[in-house]
Amino acid sequence: MARYLLRRIAFSLVTLWAVVTVAFFLVRAAPGGPFDGERRLPPSVEANLRAAYHLDDPLPRQYGRYLAMLVGGDLGPSFRSKDFSVNELIGRGLPVSLVLGGLAFLLALAAGVGAGTWAACAKDRPRDRLVTIWATLGLALPPIIVAPALVLLFAVGLGWLPAGGHQGARHFVLPVVALALPHAAAFARLARGAVIEVLARPHVLTARAKGLPGRRIVVRHVLPSALLPVVSFAGPAAAALLAGSMVIEQVFSLPGLGRHFVQGALNRDYTLVTGAVIVYAALVLGLNLLADICLVRLDRRASHA
Amino acid sequence: MPAFAFAAELRIGNGGEPLTLDPHRYNLNLEEKILGDLFEGLTAHDARGRIVPGAAESWTTSADGLTWTFALREDGRWADGAPVTAEDFVFSFRRLLDPRTAASLAYFLYAIDGAEEVNNGAAPLERLGVTAPDALTLRVRLREPFPFLAERLIYPTGFPVPKHVVAKLGDDWVKPGNMVTNGAYTLADWQPQAFVRAIRNPHFRAAESVRVDTVTYFSTDDRNAAYNRYLAGELDVIGDFPLGELARVRREAPAHLHVAPLLSMMYLVFNTAEAPFADARVRRALALALDRRRITEQVLRGGEVASASFVPPMVAGYDSAVAQSAADPPAARALLREAGYHAGNPLAVTLRHIAGADNKKAQVAIAAMWNAIGVRTELHHAELNAHFAALRQGDFQVAQAGWFGENNPEHYLELLMSTAGDVNYGRFADPEVDALMQEAKRTADVAERVALLRRAEAVALATHPVVPLYSVTVRSLVHPRVAGWHANARNTHPARYLWLRSEKAKGTRP
Repeated sequence: MARYLLRRIAFSLVTLWAVVTVAFFLVRAAPGGPFDGERRLPPSVEANLRAAYHLDDPLPRQYGRYLAMLVGGDLGPSFRSKDFSVNELIGRGLPVSLVLGGLAFLLALAAGVGAGTWAACAKDRPRDRLVTIWATLGLALPPIIVAPALVLLFAVGLGWLPAGGHQGARHFVLPVVALALPHAAAFARLARGAVIEVLARPHVLTARAKGLPGRRIVVRHVLPSALLPVVSFAGPAAAALLAGSMVIEQVFSLPGLGRHFVQGALNRDYTLVTGAVIVYAALVLGLNLLADICLVRLDRRASHA
Repeated sequence: MPAFAFAAELRIGNGGEPLTLDPHRYNLNLEEKILGDLFEGLTAHDARGRIVPGAAESWTTSADGLTWTFALREDGRWADGAPVTAEDFVFSFRRLLDPRTAASLAYFLYAIDGAEEVNNGAAPLERLGVTAPDALTLRVRLREPFPFLAERLIYPTGFPVPKHVVAKLGDDWVKPGNMVTNGAYTLADWQPQAFVRAIRNPHFRAAESVRVDTVTYFSTDDRNAAYNRYLAGELDVIGDFPLGELARVRREAPAHLHVAPLLSMMYLVFNTAEAPFADARVRRALALALDRRRITEQVLRGGEVASASFVPPMVAGYDSAVAQSAADPPAARALLREAGYHAGNPLAVTLRHIAGADNKKAQVAIAAMWNAIGVRTELHHAELNAHFAALRQGDFQVAQAGWFGENNPEHYLELLMSTAGDVNYGRFADPEVDALMQEAKRTADVAERVALLRRAEAVALATHPVVPLYSVTVRSLVHPRVAGWHANARNTHPARYLWLRSEKAKGTRP
């Protein structure tokens, strides 16, 4: 287990380095530059700015300087946000995204597994059909459609919840629901399929024959095995949640990492974009690692795969 | 943070995230709006966007127009109680032009003697023509007469920063908790990508006249999201909303709507350095094919003001010599034939424009009008920054461009000088235009100066380096509980002149 873990961590670090490198050069290859604004810059002023940010150095030297900074834990000065460093911006944005993503993940998992199991126990009956329809719709409707619809209904129409911003717990309700919906649907489909399959296994039939109550069978004998595919999907799902949170943060004006990332990309803020990519990549790698560890704990065979 | 609004909180959807609150490093219009509440320059805006005395009580200009002497107010105070002195202004102008500040808009004050040399690192800071004969007198020497200086000083580039704080804290002076300002408000909080919050400055020289306690500027970069938040009652003011909603707002909530033409010029620019637009006949043909009024009244329909002059019609004291001419497609076709383009050899051009659904409609209309005279137009769009980067590099044939800003004709006509640099996107060069513009810039008498500018415009536009189209409008939604709001061509609304009506205006949600 320890060797397996070490190998995975080393592999993750190499992946992270590759991501850093690709991001560093890709963002600089995009048309436009960080100092393009509403107003022109005279050549002398642009020269002052380029010098201040070391943009006049050859790219390899800039890359070397950046890597050296990274090793020291410094993501550098933001090219556009002159009053905050990238560390400060990400330090403020990341907690918002983690709360949003974490709550959405828990909601998706609870609602999805709950609904999927509930449906599986009544296969082909009306409530199963209902869950299947809901899950199909949830998967088919992307957050970019669902989120504005939720805003129009609950904020503009009914006035129950805020339409956007970040001034308290109420501001998280709609974003979390909008972000969780497609993932809850995916979890529901997975859980339903898995539970139906496990329900047909001999040990469940035995338990039933012994006269155990239905709820106890599901909780004690079905769910532990049925959760395997759900858990292996959880890693990629968490990554997809992070990607989805970019859209959600835009729609709801939540000051999370995704908003910084999108704004940074639009404004060619080289260091902010690269910094955000690094944090995203680290999160995705970390979550996948975590999911794999959970899998190994649930099923020893996976560590040899 | 409580979710409810503060008793006297004005909540403004400010259109995006400020990239800095350092007045000398700022670049964006949305930063100007916040900084204008936090700081006060020598001159300032009143509620209607007129230029009025600010930190300076009065000023005089020497007969040659080169020396301006400002008398500062005796009661000018920083938010920490320290007096605002002429020395603060000397420090601030030097700081703006110091190359180490890397101020992107330092050139706003190149009119000051020695400013350009200092900013290029060719002269020491002390060379700058700004001096403080005593604590309340500031003397500014210009390199050539510039009668519009009082207007130029309203930008944050002309704002003072507190010498005693900046000298102590360096670049960190700008952070919440450190920043000390001299305007009606001071910085209370800044949550990046969420909001900037300002509170009343008790030491402001006219503090007793300021009625709104707290102003929050939300970083609403998404127009649709901002509109929804306004509809949900979370914002009191939004500066922009989707054009498609205009008819509905006019019908259902006219009391919320404030429409005003903005000092601005949207135009098409031809790349005169390359074929086919090196040929003035081709430029003229494409200009003649356009019907501006159809673009503003039938396509955009947002109240935009069509203009054949390169100077926006709302610039005061300028009467353009360029006539509003109607479209003339037959003449346009004849010109194209003359230039060698006909059905067998049609002219094919690429029109570059800024991405965006509302904007695209206007470009499609332009392409259709050109199609009617046998020109094949391919549209190519890019987002704002990339678009202007391409234009500055001369990487276009014909492109949409815009210029925003000032209440003086020079600000626009300068773009047609061969010395304008890369903002003369089309690389237009006409010695006669250059000579007239340079003569205007040496003339201290405003009437004479404007007469020269008029001639320069007429000469330049005769060969169509650009096709002026229209001035854009600002469409703001302002909740009726906000009082003191005056729509103006500057689109400036200092919070110190606004107040909130106490009664909750019920049933006025649009």
